[in-house]
Amino acid sequence: MRIRFAARLKMIAPFALAAPLALMSVATGPAFGQAKSSFTAPKNAWEGHADLSGIWQAKTTAGDDVDKLVVDPPNKKIPYLPAAVAQMKANAKNKAGDSTAKCWMPGVPRLMYMNKPFQIFQTAKYIMVDSEYAHVYRQIFMDGSGHLDGVQFWDGDSRGKWEGDTLVVDVTGFNDQTWFDKAGNYHSDQLHVVERYTRTGPDTLTYEATITDPKVFSKPWTIRVPLMLNKAPNARIMEYECQELAPLSASEAQKK
Amino acid sequence: MKKTLLMLTTIATAVGLAILIPLPGSGQDAPPQGKGGGKGGGGGKGGGKGGGRAPAAPAGPMPKLPDGHPDMQGFWNPPAITDIEPAAPRGGGAPGGGAARGGGAARGGGAPGGAPAAGGPAAGPGGPGGPPAARGGGAPAGGGLGGFAGAGNRIIDPADGRIPYTPEARAKQQDLLNNHMADEPELHCYQSGVPHSESNQFGLQIIQTPGYFVEQSEFMHTVRIIPTDGRPHIDSKIRLFQGDPVGHWEGDTLVVDTTNQNTKTWFDTSGNFKTEALHITEKFIPTDANTIEYQATMHDPSIYTKDWTAHWNLPRNNTKTMSDGHPYEQMEFGCIEGNEDLGHYTEDKGGKKKQVLGKKQ
Repeated sequence: MRIRFAARLKMIAPFALAAPLALMSVATGPAFGQAKSSFTAPKNAWEGHADLSGIWQAKTTAGDDVDKLVVDPPNKKIPYLPAAVAQMKANAKNKAGDSTAKCWMPGVPRLMYMNKPFQIFQTAKYIMVDSEYAHVYRQIFMDGSGHLDGVQFWDGDSRGKWEGDTLVVDVTGFNDQTWFDKAGNYHSDQLHVVERYTRTGPDTLTYEATITDPKVFSKPWTIRVPLMLNKAPNARIMEYECQELAPLSASEAQKK
Repeated sequence: MKKTLLMLTTIATAVGLAILIPLPGSGQDAPPQGKGGGKGGGGGKGGGKGGGRAPAAPAGPMPKLPDGHPDMQGFWNPPAITDIEPAAPRGGGAPGGGAARGGGAARGGGAPGGAPAAGGPAAGPGGPGGPPAARGGGAPAGGGLGGFAGAGNRIIDPADGRIPYTPEARAKQQDLLNNHMADEPELHCYQSGVPHSESNQFGLQIIQTPGYFVEQSEFMHTVRIIPTDGRPHIDSKIRLFQGDPVGHWEGDTLVVDTTNQNTKTWFDTSGNFKTEALHITEKFIPTDANTIEYQATMHDPSIYTKDWTAHWNLPRNNTKTMSDGHPYEQMEFGCIEGNEDLGHYTEDKGGKKKQVLGKKQ
């Protein structure tokens, strides 16, 4: 049983076709602590809960370095275990090791703050998150089912529930092949993410993710970022396809 | 070290897939069976999901949504069409001959009279051999295994079931088929384009929300977001793998106008190429609660002498649970993350001759 991979790509040339999105005013993220808002979320017409449907985007460069989104711990430093710091520093010097540099899936929560728009479709059993990045989609199962046992996913296994007007999603079942950003912040296959989606205004949603990974971090840490709703008439997400132009076959790559 | 981890991860994922769902087809790694003789349909693209094995329950009409339109949500099993035309023998057979394979290959249940797929058990014992086992249908093509079956003509107009190419366009298609299969789009993990998105491997989930009809393919995690508000198309200069679909309802039929495709995708895996002039009118017709008839009419005067129409059925996948009792779900399909299929064409791994990548189409 051998599986071989094109471990080195000769050339990576993401070709993007992104229509200019209407510029929207950037709302200020809420202060520290749980996202709270006096805003009453509109209800989804068919599904009945707070309406998260629409095209959303994080207007941030956190995809380069997730540090800037950290709201807990209070010192805003990712609480790496001492033994994990060396790996993070090694990653930082090896940009090609980033999964998105190879056009691979970005993982979660990175997909949500990597500055590519995504569209949320909301039904009673499924909440779908369709990203413009490499046509990656997430399925958030709302049917009360549990996580799959023993299966690893690039973008995790997402099970959601409603806490009032907040969507809470428990994400596990990750592989260890994605980073949080281009800077090399990383996780193991023990990553556990709890996401919270809360509408905070007519055009805004606060996205929070608490990240736990006992192999890499000494304690949980939390990021928060506002997501902006694209209200332009007839707005649609485009395609940000990521392909190597001259792919090597598996064994050719092995010879390099 | 890194490579080892990557291998383990992918193996684990593939094993998980093999264990959890009755899904033998995995054309991603399938050997190109069609290289020598008849276009083999990519081997592993066969294999119906569990839904194909269940006896057809009496199906009433398609349920309705709050807005009164048909509720086509759920899981569907498109036929895996590897040649949208009746396949002539490869290597010299003139187009227009008899249907050597009984028409374009079809996954079980996808075609009228399609044989039930017996694929499920093949996916059982995963173990270290996970990916090959999951490949099930990758056994020699040629009939029942994996659910291939005589499907009749996909193309209902013109009556001969063949694409009405201009002579120049037919020559180009034959050249692609015979000499440039290394450039086959899905081999490179491209999205399938339209209408192949409705006839590629694996399952399809439909979600409907106010104003949208959304299709999410398991294969290549391809998405089609179809607004149903009849909005204008995007600028013709923007070219997309999946094009720009704009839908509207005509009674219970969803009619979709699809333009703006790029020229990087085919209609199948048999060299049936596209130009930027392609304009497709699609219809999703709810025949009954378990069947959607899909129709696509292709208009492109630059390579066709007249418009042509293909159709096939999308049968519902009624599988309720996976083998661990978990509700049935689509899995995550990584492609570029571990693509070794190119080697089947560029190396001596089942292919008859080595091809050079990147030939201009």
